[in-house]
Amino acid sequence: MTTVEVTKKASRADKPTEPLIFEKQVEGQTGVDFPPLDVPKTEIPSGTVGNGINLPSFGQHDVMGHYTHLSDRNFSVDGNFYPLGSCTMKHNPRINEWAAALPGFSCLHPLQDDDTIQGALRLLYETRTMLEEIAGLHEVSLQPAAGAHGEFTALKVIKAYYADHGQSRRTVVLAADTAHGTNPASCTMCGASVQTVRTEQGQTDLEHLKEVIAHVGADNIAAFMITNPSTAGLFDVNIKEIADIIHEAGAMLYVDGANMNAMVGLIRPGDFGADAMHYNTHKTFSTPHGGGGPGSGPIAVTETLAPYLPVPQVMMADDGSFYLDRSREKTIGKVRSFIGQFGVLVRCWTYISACGPDGLKNVAETAVLNANYLAARLQDLYAMPYFNPSEGKFCAHEFVTVPRDLLDKGVTLIDIAKRMIDYGVHPPTMHWPVHDCFMVEPTETESKQALDHFVDVMRAIAEEISMDIETVQNAPLESDIARADEVGAARKPVIAFVDSE
Amino acid sequence: MDYTQLNLTHRTEMLQAIGIDHVDALFQAIPESIRCTDSLDLMPAQSELELQRSLAEMANHNHGAHDMICFMGCGAYDHFYPALVDQLISRGEFLTAYTPYQAEASQGSLQAFFEFQTQIARLTGLDIANASLYDGATAMAEAALLATNTTRRSEVLVAETIHPEYLAVLRTVLSDLNITITVLESTDGTIAPSTVKANMSDAVACVIVQSPNIWGQIEDWEGCFNIAHETPKTAAIAVCNPIACGMLKTPGECGADIATGEGQPLGNALNLGGPYLGLLAAKESFVRKMPGRLVGMTTDEEGRRAFCLTLQTREQHIRGAKATSNVCTNQGLMALRATMFMTTLGSDGLKEMAEQCWHKAHYLAKELCAIDGWKLKHEGEFFNEFTIVPPFDVTEFVNKAKSRGILPGVTACGRRMQGLSKGNDLIVAVTEKRTKQEMDTFVEFCKEVSA
Repeated sequence: MTTVEVTKKASRADKPTEPLIFEKQVEGQTGVDFPPLDVPKTEIPSGTVGNGINLPSFGQHDVMGHYTHLSDRNFSVDGNFYPLGSCTMKHNPRINEWAAALPGFSCLHPLQDDDTIQGALRLLYETRTMLEEIAGLHEVSLQPAAGAHGEFTALKVIKAYYADHGQSRRTVVLAADTAHGTNPASCTMCGASVQTVRTEQGQTDLEHLKEVIAHVGADNIAAFMITNPSTAGLFDVNIKEIADIIHEAGAMLYVDGANMNAMVGLIRPGDFGADAMHYNTHKTFSTPHGGGGPGSGPIAVTETLAPYLPVPQVMMADDGSFYLDRSREKTIGKVRSFIGQFGVLVRCWTYISACGPDGLKNVAETAVLNANYLAARLQDLYAMPYFNPSEGKFCAHEFVTVPRDLLDKGVTLIDIAKRMIDYGVHPPTMHWPVHDCFMVEPTETESKQALDHFVDVMRAIAEEISMDIETVQNAPLESDIARADEVGAARKPVIAFVDSE
Repeated sequence: MDYTQLNLTHRTEMLQAIGIDHVDALFQAIPESIRCTDSLDLMPAQSELELQRSLAEMANHNHGAHDMICFMGCGAYDHFYPALVDQLISRGEFLTAYTPYQAEASQGSLQAFFEFQTQIARLTGLDIANASLYDGATAMAEAALLATNTTRRSEVLVAETIHPEYLAVLRTVLSDLNITITVLESTDGTIAPSTVKANMSDAVACVIVQSPNIWGQIEDWEGCFNIAHETPKTAAIAVCNPIACGMLKTPGECGADIATGEGQPLGNALNLGGPYLGLLAAKESFVRKMPGRLVGMTTDEEGRRAFCLTLQTREQHIRGAKATSNVCTNQGLMALRATMFMTTLGSDGLKEMAEQCWHKAHYLAKELCAIDGWKLKHEGEFFNEFTIVPPFDVTEFVNKAKSRGILPGVTACGRRMQGLSKGNDLIVAVTEKRTKQEMDTFVEFCKEVSA
């Protein structure tokens, strides 16, 4: 018997939506003041002055109120279980935020001379070398601003290597049919085309891989982009063979590091044959997602590819000081302004240093344990195509469920997801990598109590589908809004507010 | 501490539920040959107290705008922002939320991004804006791609006077896409409309001009964009400074079709260059080709106002290789900081800030020019940044200034600025934060060095 309850808020009918700042504007009021000008004025030529912009403002107390009310209308890792597959919504330690806010880090200008920022460069250098060790690869670039940006950067590096070795015709990139959507999009931005490789039971289909290589022509292939563990939540048992096949074709193995949380300290991509990979620091290394960013997507590559990495690169000189090398001869150039997502990398350094080598290993083990525990507790009600402990089939740090029996009773996947919101649980990733699936990733930082609560919620929803299906079909009932009309929003997009009068 | 929360009893119960004796069983699919045999070669774990010590020590080995008088700019500025920004942004409900795919659980972030988009549209004088991109440089590259994608043309005209790092990123981004970059040469630090005219053709997808430009000079956007528009469909792209938009003519007022820029000055710390946020605004007609996150206003099933991510069919997770961009995030927290900053200041506060920048920069320029042998590099108008040429080696001068606690500006020579100039040019930025006393201290120092 489950005893979970929905999160009763004040009825949304009684709870007004928060007005927009444009509707709260108070003429003549602002939330902040300035010191009087302490220099003589210089005439501003009228030809340069604009007609004036219209940004609303009001008093400081109401500014605080506005954003406090908005924050009350959000799910978050702090406040909710957030089992979003492939997103690794782990705890965000506040020591990370404390560190990034230190004036000695946050007040540095990116074009300062190296001798004024030795502490920051040391932190970057140590982050670089720690990420090299965790990847088992030769060199890391901290430049990319996000995972997708890392993919783009690494593909550029691979293309530059081939161009430099008279193999510019290698413009085809292979990607699994379960690949993140960013993989093919990044290929397009690099002028590469994509060929899809099938997966069978969440594993790369080796025969199909060979067929695709034969069909495309080994000499035309630049890389195979693979996510390991795959987005089906499984370690690819043939990863070493895959690496061999790709290298045999003269191409590179690229590892999408989105699922690194299942591997840190246990397996190093370099050890199974990866030539390049990206990290998502906001997944594996606990930097906050912030409602969609900032991320950071450092890439790691082999010695062969290292000469092509973007500039600048943080280096240690013979005398133990640190400097930025801006003049790598074969570099692909710059991929963003300045030095990278420094503030995010401070958090990344802090997290890795908090965990240490044994802690990182425990992170991966516990993430995998938590996922398998949830899967084991839910498999009788939520069918799992790839999970069967009695046959020795376990999941990695996340699992896929296709709850066909429940759907057949007359609810949609979205109905179940929206009902989860009523119980204070953020819905998992949906319809991906296969249709009608949830992909559930609990992460290692959830307690057993939290995991058990989630099990109770999922069982309660299954029971509701049998006993009181309309409740699930009409969900969410307790959230700030009922279901949003997303179709209408796309048909007639309103992405800026226009005053009605 | 690795932040896991299971004790031994929990672990035993969980293993039992799975039906295994040891956690190793979960990893049996992985061949032994590729598993780590040893611990990673990393420093041992540090407790939080030790971390606070070691981080404070590393931070203390840095000097910057917190303990020096900073006149550095060139795309990153030491502006004031109200204390409430740091306080509000640290609320876990914002900090630890994910991309708001689930509208019903994310109205807070969604409404804030919608307000941000509207503020950026108004600030730039255009119709729409996205929820932000990585930084100013990548945003400008995305703007160029937006223009080449919509016009299906293959040439991009770029002012020589844009930030050299932005040009470098543009080159990297466009290098595999069969798009030609033509750099427009400047005359006395700005782009003459006649130069745009001389380079125009039917193949030109867009004309990109930054104002104030890398030298601090205010460009003739109107003149350049009028020429661009003589060729149908060619997009006029303005790279702007959002603080300047609070006072100067906006991109929209000058005829820009797309505006882009670095959003850092809006409530974000210097952070050694990141995380920042890229701004991208455009005319309504570009809405279905815009890269990046867009939040739309809609209603819920009960007729209530609601917000959701919209036009996701442009995006990579739906469109894959055919997406408008591979960007799958925005700089959420940075955009939140920016919107909080703009809401606190409003038009009046932003105008006050911009005007103080103007007056202070002009005061300092005047004082520096009064020193024997010092002169401005250009004659045109500037906003909060100008290029001064002292009568001696500027690198040595910068070193002396550092030892006196002054960051006097950005030297235009050398690799850091991609070889922008060979001369003794010093690009000096003055924000509202610099006091008359600080500027006078700097001027006294310059006089001393000059004497």
